[in-house]
Amino acid sequence: MNKLLILVVEDDKSVRNLIVTTLRTNGYRFTEAPTGEEAIIQASSHNPDVILLDLGLPDMEGIDVIRRVRGWSNVPIIVISARTEDADKISALDAGADDYLTKPFSVDELMARLRATQRRLAYTNTSAPADSAFVNGALRVDYAANTASVNGEELRLTPIEYRLLCLLAQNVGKVLTHTFITQKIWGKSMESDIASLRVYMAMLRRKIESASGSETQYIQTHIGIGYRMIKL
Amino acid sequence: MKPRGKLTIYFSYADGVGKTRAMLASAQAQQRAGRRVLVGETDGAVPDAAALGLPCLPPRSVRGTSLREFDLDAALARRPDVLVLPGLAHANPEGCRHEKRYQDVQELLRAGIDVYTTLLVAQLEGQREAAARLNGREEREWIPDALFDAAESVEFVDREPSALSPLPQGLSQSQLLALRALALRRCADRLSLSRQTPDGPAVSEHILVCLSAAPSNARVIRMAVRMANAFRCACTAVFVRNPGAKAMPAADRERLKANMKLAEQLGARVEIVPGEDVAFQIAEYARLCGATKIVLGRSIAARGHLLNQPSITDRLIQHAPGIEIHILPDGEAQRRLQPRRLRLPHVSVSDFAKTLVILALATALSLVFYEMGFSEANIIMAYILGVLLTAVVTSNRLCSSATSIASVFIFNYLFTEPRFTLEAYDTGYPVTFLIMLLAALMTGTLASQLKNHAREAAQTAYRTRVLFDTNQQLSQAADGRDILALTAQQLIKLFKRDVVMYPVQAGELGEGVAYPARGAGGVDALMGERRVAQWVLRSNRQAGATTDTFAQAKGLYLAIRINESIYGVAGIAMGSQTMTDAEHGMLLAVLGECALAMENERNVREKEAAAMQARSEQLRADLLRAISHDLRTPLTAILGNASNLIANGRELGEQTRQQIYTDIHDDATWLINLVENLLFVTRIEDGRMKLRCSVEVMDEILQEALSHESCKGRNHSIVLRRSEELLFARIDARLIIQVVINLVDNAIKYTPPGSHIELFARRDGDFIRVSCADDGPGIAPGDREHLFEMFYSGKSRRADGRRSLGLGLGLCKSIVSAHGGTICAQDNHPRGTVFSFTVPAQEVDLDEQAVDSGC
Repeated sequence: MNKLLILVVEDDKSVRNLIVTTLRTNGYRFTEAPTGEEAIIQASSHNPDVILLDLGLPDMEGIDVIRRVRGWSNVPIIVISARTEDADKISALDAGADDYLTKPFSVDELMARLRATQRRLAYTNTSAPADSAFVNGALRVDYAANTASVNGEELRLTPIEYRLLCLLAQNVGKVLTHTFITQKIWGKSMESDIASLRVYMAMLRRKIESASGSETQYIQTHIGIGYRMIKL
Repeated sequence: MKPRGKLTIYFSYADGVGKTRAMLASAQAQQRAGRRVLVGETDGAVPDAAALGLPCLPPRSVRGTSLREFDLDAALARRPDVLVLPGLAHANPEGCRHEKRYQDVQELLRAGIDVYTTLLVAQLEGQREAAARLNGREEREWIPDALFDAAESVEFVDREPSALSPLPQGLSQSQLLALRALALRRCADRLSLSRQTPDGPAVSEHILVCLSAAPSNARVIRMAVRMANAFRCACTAVFVRNPGAKAMPAADRERLKANMKLAEQLGARVEIVPGEDVAFQIAEYARLCGATKIVLGRSIAARGHLLNQPSITDRLIQHAPGIEIHILPDGEAQRRLQPRRLRLPHVSVSDFAKTLVILALATALSLVFYEMGFSEANIIMAYILGVLLTAVVTSNRLCSSATSIASVFIFNYLFTEPRFTLEAYDTGYPVTFLIMLLAALMTGTLASQLKNHAREAAQTAYRTRVLFDTNQQLSQAADGRDILALTAQQLIKLFKRDVVMYPVQAGELGEGVAYPARGAGGVDALMGERRVAQWVLRSNRQAGATTDTFAQAKGLYLAIRINESIYGVAGIAMGSQTMTDAEHGMLLAVLGECALAMENERNVREKEAAAMQARSEQLRADLLRAISHDLRTPLTAILGNASNLIANGRELGEQTRQQIYTDIHDDATWLINLVENLLFVTRIEDGRMKLRCSVEVMDEILQEALSHESCKGRNHSIVLRRSEELLFARIDARLIIQVVINLVDNAIKYTPPGSHIELFARRDGDFIRVSCADDGPGIAPGDREHLFEMFYSGKSRRADGRRSLGLGLGLCKSIVSAHGGTICAQDNHPRGTVFSFTVPAQEVDLDEQAVDSGC
């Protein structure tokens, strides 16, 4: 199953070497692109399964690469950014990236992200969008019945909590930004909405965790950026 | 700001030489070079411009006349690179913004537009007289020499007079030759002027010129300014106003005004100094402003000769021995003096009536004395009392003098034998009459002088009080806006006129604020004159009512300035009543105080900002110094270890290699932590941390911190204890995460492997307390006080070579303080340390909370 093809877009040679070496030792196939133009050509010709994209490219903005690729493909894009400013990551995510890594990152972290993406790909490939239920570990969201349960025990959720859960489930594996979520749930994105979102998410997490009775994390918080449903 | 435009003058000695043609030819060249050229048309003055393919600006009609004039506003609006506008000396008809075209040109230059123009030598202020002598005709339109000398370039357009046909303006060949020589000489003067000290006026010389109402004074002023130009130094024109100035006839007053204006236009600073003793005042003022030369006309110099007193010149030399005095001959002085002596001084009707009444009363009293048989001495006393009274109640000294003479005659006529004749039998009477006359004259003179002094002193005292008042009030103003408001109040109190104030910020005119005076209701009209204020700001000169520029405006606009820095523009309504000179002086003085206060305020503000800047620079510099040392150590280790691996990786045993890998990894992790702390240091601005706060769930913050690389102690057990209730805090998430990372990282570093580290958040009143507890060796009591100082790290640990930057805890303290919380270290039980800090808790209200419980 480790036969995924990864497109590594990174202009810095030693970081590219590091990533490539890591991919090779972990049995992934890969192809390299040092510039944005090259990346777009390779993305269309090699049809990779995942793109690892550095945001700071010499010839064009990483965001533009995302937009161009998103023009024809839904391939998962993991953004690698040296910039600590959250705004960069948020705009990359809003432009269509699925996940992000901040430099410096550890090799373990990179592998974890790739595995998560792989699980998500496997899940989306086996399930049809018309499926009436979403299953992730012990968590089950029954779209038809408008209910959610953990280990078969129904969660008592408010309407907003339920809609949040559905939104996360439908985008499993993707980091959803605060703005994206508030737009979807409230139709607007104000400072007060984001504050409310924190509260709803915190309560939703608590309900799921207390019902599952374990430390298992279904919903991951990305401080200053957003939330993600992890595919177990 | 746009650079000033360049002025090019096509200069010649007579019409018909070809100035306009030369000017249009270079304009064409400019157009071919790709610059936008515009010809400013003035009624038919540039007939061939259109034929040459140059774009023309149609003239506008002047309101109320059939005249068509150059359209300044349209030219400014079209913003060409080069504007061609012949006839620099042209006088604009009434209804234009400026009186003279050269003022239009100055405005164009200020707007950054290059101007090409034409000029004749006879139209130069300084050459007018000489040219008039040559061609017998005085030019009525002229420009100040300073403008000519300051022009970027002067193209002398020349042609042999013999080649001109017909001879222009009916001049002869020899006249033309002489004019041409004059023009050439003027060009040469200009060149030698511009070659001297290009770096501005030398401070060593300062010329003071005395102003007077004499018609010849204009020449003296011109000479002085020319001298100042030759020395490249400043020139100040001074007028000494003595109490007699009130009696100055209207024609003299007009001339004096014209002379003052001339001096101002030629670039001299005009000052009015009150005082009776002209020589003393001039000397005093010269000392004050540091003048090195005094220039005066012969008419002033000669004053004082009548009673054989030392002349003004002598007294000037006496009062100001170090100053050169230049006296210019004054041909017209004698001619002028004659008619003045013959002119009857003006005495007001009320003064005349008062004089008559007092004389009548004195006579009546004397008659009573006479009837009662009092001696003549009493009668004389009564008359002298009358003279004294006249001097006090009338404003003209002539009244008391006339009373003195009349008293003697009446005394003679009514009271000396034979009575009712102007004869006297007693031989002693002529002496009595003479003494009486002298006593009366002196009494009158002294009394009126005393009165004038008292009035002047009162005026000075009033002025001093007002300025003191203003100063006091302004010193209490909080900021620039306050200062302007207080100044406006003061102006209203003084003049009872509407005032409008425009602040100036960074060279831009701010929003005007109106201060209506009680009872005057025209402040709205003032508010509509913003463009006048704009002009004042740009040109740094006064404008509006009673000046040449925007004369039709309702208000007079003055810059609040100190030298070249303008702090605001004040507008004051003029209405039908113009201001007296004294009021004008007061206005300037109050505005001067205002400018001073504004400057002080700005200086204080700049100083504060600079100090703030210095403090944060200092903080940053200290940090960088401390850090650069701590960066070198791990980098040396990484570099050395990596080189070792590259060079002899094969020979090293597996265990050694593993050790080296671990070292590199640890050092790199340490560096990452340092770099991240550094990034937050850059957020320190003005000595304070800048926060970007949002509502966060505390447990999530702690979890995020623990997921960080440096919190993954391989040999420590790190536990996050969740809180029962959801804790919300209003914090800058990134910064607080860094605080937690630093605390956990510290705990890992300073506890032996196998230690337990516990992290938890609890409610603490209005705060949330986050604690990081370990069961390590604890902290020595002496170290505890210094822990949170930047750059401090326990001495013992420094010594064993394991670097640790004090930065971590210092930064934590800065961040927590910026949130309004506290941070501290306490002993843990039974052993170890608890670091804890507080951040403000946040209540979150949710509308749906109610729905939630029912669901």
